[in-house]
Amino acid sequence: MNEIVFTAVFGVFLLFSGLFIRSKNAIRFIAITGMGLAFLVNGWEYFHPGNDWPGGMIHADHVSILFNAIALGCTLVYFLLSGKDFEQLGEHLAEYFALVYFILCGVGIASSFTSLLMLFLAIEIISIPQYILAGSQKSNLKSNEASLKYFLMGAFSTGFLLMGIALLYGSTGTFHIGEMNLGGSGIDPLVLTGILFLIVGLTFKVGGAPFHFWTPDVYDGAPSVVTSFMATVVKAAGFIAFLRLFSIAFSADNITAHWTLVIALIAAATLLVGNFTAVFQVSVKRMLAYSSISQAGFMILALVGLGTLAWDGILLYAAAYSLATIGAFAVLIRMEDYTYEGYRGLGKKQPLVALANTVFLLSLTGIPATAGFMAKYFVLSSALQRGGMLWLVILALCCAAVSAYYYFRLIWAMYFQEGEPAILPDRITPAFKGLLIFTALLVVAIGVYPGLVLNWLP
Amino acid sequence: MNWQLIIFWILAVIALLCAIGVVTSRNPINSVLFLIMTFFAIAGHYLLLNAQFLAVVHIIVYAGAIMVLFLFVIMLMNMNAETEPQKSQLVRFAGVISGGILLIVVLAALKKADPALMSGKSSDIGLISNLGQVLFHEFIVPFELSSVLFLSAMVGAVLIGKKN
Repeated sequence: MNEIVFTAVFGVFLLFSGLFIRSKNAIRFIAITGMGLAFLVNGWEYFHPGNDWPGGMIHADHVSILFNAIALGCTLVYFLLSGKDFEQLGEHLAEYFALVYFILCGVGIASSFTSLLMLFLAIEIISIPQYILAGSQKSNLKSNEASLKYFLMGAFSTGFLLMGIALLYGSTGTFHIGEMNLGGSGIDPLVLTGILFLIVGLTFKVGGAPFHFWTPDVYDGAPSVVTSFMATVVKAAGFIAFLRLFSIAFSADNITAHWTLVIALIAAATLLVGNFTAVFQVSVKRMLAYSSISQAGFMILALVGLGTLAWDGILLYAAAYSLATIGAFAVLIRMEDYTYEGYRGLGKKQPLVALANTVFLLSLTGIPATAGFMAKYFVLSSALQRGGMLWLVILALCCAAVSAYYYFRLIWAMYFQEGEPAILPDRITPAFKGLLIFTALLVVAIGVYPGLVLNWLP
Repeated sequence: MNWQLIIFWILAVIALLCAIGVVTSRNPINSVLFLIMTFFAIAGHYLLLNAQFLAVVHIIVYAGAIMVLFLFVIMLMNMNAETEPQKSQLVRFAGVISGGILLIVVLAALKKADPALMSGKSSDIGLISNLGQVLFHEFIVPFELSSVLFLSAMVGAVLIGKKN
């Protein structure tokens, strides 16, 4: 809960500092420092839990705080790697950073809500700044299209979410996810319809098939620096909210019997659509957009699993996927040509950058000794635990094998194809290289020793 | 038959007819005007349920602000039959089927709804003073946190609307 207050207040502080401070470097410094402080403030709550707020609609347990720490840590890495690229968006640097802070406020609510009302607020606080950031390049038509498409689709899916919440409230008479008592013998059809609507709304927000159609266009059209954040921290927060809701409110055996198959089919469709479409992409940015759909498919597997293993898996996945994707996007932003051809010869010209990029791509594929492997391992074993899901796990493994093709194609282009990569001038500084290598090391460290994340769970 | 029931039936007929008018009228301007009528009829229902605040907000926000926005957009876009994208028969058929299935599901769910949950509450629940009591005691946290939502929306409006 410290995180929610701190990020909201610091966002306002940033808005004001944008009024008085003209220097872009100073504003970037404030934003980065604030993110470090937010990380500390959030960590403080882990050791000194405070009282809940009146109304009891938010309860930050250790899992919530751990996820907040992952989200804040990834955003810190993101600010350090790509903070300078925010200047591409336009003049109003402080406002863009402030919007990211507001998103993180929503992320904090999404990880600790106990009331459906707070879930709705969290999803909206996360979404609205994203619509703005996606359209921040006002003279870029693709950015406008991305923003408008995202806004219209997002507003539509919010309608489903609200309808689901209303139906659940109408049947149970409470917003509190812990007090719905759905485990009784008879099941109200209102509840089932409500759950169905909630699944539709939330699947939309996390970009799972068959509600994924906005994802490639929005991720491709939005400025790369924004996409990098939308596809990682925000998506992971959506999954945390999804898993939190379903594992607390709808985990009684007679209820899971009704929705597990729906979620399993959504996972299967997401995996198939994401992976097989990513294979045919020419642009690396669009490939990463489809790869984010396929990774979402793996995260949905945790929802099929529902249990402690699922929580381990989703937290590891959030860390592994966010770090790797933020790193891969930080490299992408520095390229002039977003196609595979543009990466040719990067291994010779910028060996360190290419090496780090390779580690990120290996992690996204799920090669052992990287964080992605451990994340996939936990998520898949959680799905296996719930019997009868062997077919889904096998399908997921096949899809992981397919994903190797498009990730390795980029590695192949970097190392084994001759060419002169066009890198934006003066963008690869020694500090950037150092940070990129540090991020890659972090990815490997989590892969070798997942306890780095998981030991913090109670 | 008491007068409340009579008013309810009149409002219900107006709301339904206007809602059908929204969908069937060819001219988008007429659609919007029908929609405004529907909103007023629904606001009347809220009044019958003793929810004055909801009724007033409904008229101000929906019939007022949002509908004016709708009218502006429709007038600016200058839509006519030629510019309308053609939908294939297959898409229409699929839309009708999936919409119909959803309708059946919702109808089945609502048929089993328990009216006791509603009637158990006091009939004064919609009065402004009660609403304020609930809003500033039980729901104070979401009330305060929604300010972050509105603040980011305002920042966005300024960012998008301002000249570079």
